[in-house]
Amino acid sequence: MIEELFEIERDAQKDSVVHRLDARVKIAIAFAAIIALVAVPYSTMVYTIGAVFFCFFAFLWCCTRLSPVTYLKRLISIVPLWGVIIFFQIFLKNKYYTDYHTVLSLPLGISIYAESIEFAFILLVKFMVCISFIILLSSTTRMHDMLEGAARMGLPAEFALALGMMIRYLFVFGYMFRKINETLKTKCFDAFDRHLPYRYRLRQLGYMIGTMFIRSYEQGERVYTSMLCRGYGKDSYLFVQRKPLKGTEWAVLCFSLAFITVIPLAVWLTSFRLL
Amino acid sequence: MHIPDAFIPIWQGAIYWIIALVFIALALRWARNEMNEEKLPLVAVLAAGIFALQSFNLPVSMGTSGHLVGGALAAIILGSPFAAIFILTLVLIIQGVLFGDGGITVMGANIINMGVIGGFTGYYTFKGLMGLTKNMPVSVFFAAWLACLIPSLACAVEMAIAGTFPLTEGLIAMGIYHAIIGFIEGFVTIAAIYIITAARPDLVDTGVRAPAGASSS
Repeated sequence: MIEELFEIERDAQKDSVVHRLDARVKIAIAFAAIIALVAVPYSTMVYTIGAVFFCFFAFLWCCTRLSPVTYLKRLISIVPLWGVIIFFQIFLKNKYYTDYHTVLSLPLGISIYAESIEFAFILLVKFMVCISFIILLSSTTRMHDMLEGAARMGLPAEFALALGMMIRYLFVFGYMFRKINETLKTKCFDAFDRHLPYRYRLRQLGYMIGTMFIRSYEQGERVYTSMLCRGYGKDSYLFVQRKPLKGTEWAVLCFSLAFITVIPLAVWLTSFRLL
Repeated sequence: MHIPDAFIPIWQGAIYWIIALVFIALALRWARNEMNEEKLPLVAVLAAGIFALQSFNLPVSMGTSGHLVGGALAAIILGSPFAAIFILTLVLIIQGVLFGDGGITVMGANIINMGVIGGFTGYYTFKGLMGLTKNMPVSVFFAAWLACLIPSLACAVEMAIAGTFPLTEGLIAMGIYHAIIGFIEGFVTIAAIYIITAARPDLVDTGVRAPAGASSS
């Protein structure tokens, strides 16, 4: 995840119409889309709404001028973990269906149900579209801009300041982790090498974790002291400059929010289903 | 242990958010009173460290994901369960917004599990055991182990209430995974606190002192 952080920040530094939008607009659109999709009941309606939302996401992604491979890479790094969990739904009965029809009976009394497969698909669609909007938001917004945007939207100053510092430390941690890892490799230390005594491996790992923490802290403390000398302080985020949205940003925001609200309502009212 | 979006219905997510906001407000009060210029780098580095610890995830078939939590570590070093809530909230915001690890609509539930339950369990177990045994490694180990196990059980209950996973199977799967992961969490927490108290005793707020023989050099 720490390595991924560097890649995300690299993507966010690029330039496009979406990258140039104010962070507040992107945060509002992404959160609204997620809330709207999660609010749709567990029914096959999700397929239609999910498909429309995904088209909306795909349009925005095209505007970012980022490669689809970037999106797929990030999706692949997230989905397998949750995909396994969603996959297990096909073996389970849940409270959202009353009748269950067995599709396949397996040994040890395990069965796969048609309704459970449907539920797993509904979860998958909701999850994939939600994740896609998160990928869009993080790949097109620099962390600093996101933080300023969040502070302008009302995130308490204490959180904004600590988040800003935490993000700096994440990069310090990343560099520190790389350095310590390389040092351990040059010493041919492998924590999973069964030939080494457990006690020795545990002690080395303990030293590694502790050293990473102490060195990151001390390096960060020095950086923070320099920042204090340059006028940065714990009250910095209390005074984030006000920045009104431009006309085009208002237009994008209003259109997107209207779209995100109207689509689920329209699908629900017409009870239109793809399947 | 991170619950993703869509695994809990929106109205239940809203309830968890309301409960979490009460604790976030209390954690914010802790930050306003305690987080001075000296402590800020420590809070931030703890948050970054816990983020790094939580980045090693394993899928749990009848639950969500299995990983280290770090609530006990934050609460013990900073001497308050509200510190754990504050730090875990930071971690969950970054994980949810940047990496999609844990959802936006269910962030309240995740904060309750890892921050509130993890922080309170870790801190008060440590305080209680430290008073009884006066043994730092034992107290830290059990505090960290419980602070990993109990939130995972809470997560299984929330998923069962949501109707996404059955209660018994969820409790067994999440419980077994996190009871094992809790051992790693226990050792990691001991190692981190041991080294911090030895190298920088000024950073620790709970009255934990470096074990005899540990030098500060």
